[in-house]
Amino acid sequence: MYRKQVRRRRATLVALVVLALVLISTHISEGEDGPLHSVTDTIASVLSPIEEGASRALKPARDLVNWFDETFEARGQNDELQVEVSELREQVSLLQREVDLRDEIGEVGSLDGTDGFEEVAAQIIGRSSATYLAKLDIDKGASAGLARDDPVVVGEGLIGRVSDVTGGGATVTLISGADSSVTARVLEDGPTGSLAPIVGEPGTLLFDVIASDKEVRGGSMLVTASFTDGELTGLFPQGIPVGEVTSARATDRAVGQRIEVEPYADLANLPETVFVLTGGPS
Amino acid sequence: MIITSPIFARLAGLVVVAVLLELSFFSRIPMLGTVPAVLPVVVVVLGLLGGAVIGASSGFGAGLLVDAALGGILGVTSLALMAAGYLAGRWRETYDIVSTLVPPILTGVLTGVASMTMLAIHLTLGIDASISVLAVREPIAQALMGGLLATGLFPLTKWILRPALVDDVRRRSGRRPAPSMLGTP
Repeated sequence: MYRKQVRRRRATLVALVVLALVLISTHISEGEDGPLHSVTDTIASVLSPIEEGASRALKPARDLVNWFDETFEARGQNDELQVEVSELREQVSLLQREVDLRDEIGEVGSLDGTDGFEEVAAQIIGRSSATYLAKLDIDKGASAGLARDDPVVVGEGLIGRVSDVTGGGATVTLISGADSSVTARVLEDGPTGSLAPIVGEPGTLLFDVIASDKEVRGGSMLVTASFTDGELTGLFPQGIPVGEVTSARATDRAVGQRIEVEPYADLANLPETVFVLTGGPS
Repeated sequence: MIITSPIFARLAGLVVVAVLLELSFFSRIPMLGTVPAVLPVVVVVLGLLGGAVIGASSGFGAGLLVDAALGGILGVTSLALMAAGYLAGRWRETYDIVSTLVPPILTGVLTGVASMTMLAIHLTLGIDASISVLAVREPIAQALMGGLLATGLFPLTKWILRPALVDDVRRRSGRRPAPSMLGTP
């Protein structure tokens, strides 16, 4: 009897481990339209309305917990905010100069490249507990016009892109997510490069400058940069604020500088509503 | 644990509710530089109450739901939660829970193990990003919060599954619990 139980236990464990490994390997090797992805999308479609309901029902409890957290935090933020206001004033003046410059050369009529995009407001209904995965579920999907790789923003700036879409919901990978990369450039007239996350430090991004000997200084502002290289195009429209350089120090390596950037949006405390920029200029 | 259809329904309900709570509530309350992970806590508690098979199966099911909901790689969370659930179940089958401190401590440790396992699997599969030593802060913080959550969740889950727990059935019927077959307490 006892041996039978042990055999059954071992058989169940081995079966589950094998099944999990098969799922992982199939999920990685098959294409986006493979059968396993279809099954996942179906499960996500079923779960999405339930998640939405649970998110709404639990909102008062979340608000209560966050109220305590924010009240304590707000006391210590006054001085920081005053410094931030003066920095923002400088950035506004920088941006205004850039607008004037662009108008002069007749390049683009507005500061950012989001003209022609439609803003779709979406509620966050779920989030991963692993901060390095940094995935969100939102309550709008293909039926609201969302498509894969659409940029997602909040008031402060870019927070991520749509990485998966079903009919009534979508998954957003934040810019702090392990497989995220954002092409950005330093204002004003600074170098262009790629922003990548650091696993374990969700509030910091690394800016890897692409072929430039221009020096980057602390406090510089980064915005998204678009590019076209043959059939390759950047994921984001240009000009969406991303973050501020918090540290730029020289390294021994050929890379030149290690540039750390703090995103403008507080990715740990996102608002309930985010905006997806969908469509794009025709 | 005696598995009947109503008990199976309760187990499934617990797992689904835990998944929804994790996605819609706990993962949106930042604490200690991360967020509390309630799912490993529930899986470990189920393992402690039901044994290795129940722990591993509920971990597998919960992981599948989370991966599907968040568009992750199917099977990764399952593998991590399964390990935690199975280890908790093996503890229950080998030793008696002699103190009220055992469930929270064990749950905390195994929550940290689950979190670390998931990070290790993702690193093995390839993460295209720099990795800071601070990455270990998340499993440690989640372990601490998991231990705290278990102080409430263990008695609650035990109460929900009470009709199926062998020791409780024996106690209620006035019989003394039989000595463990799998080891000395």
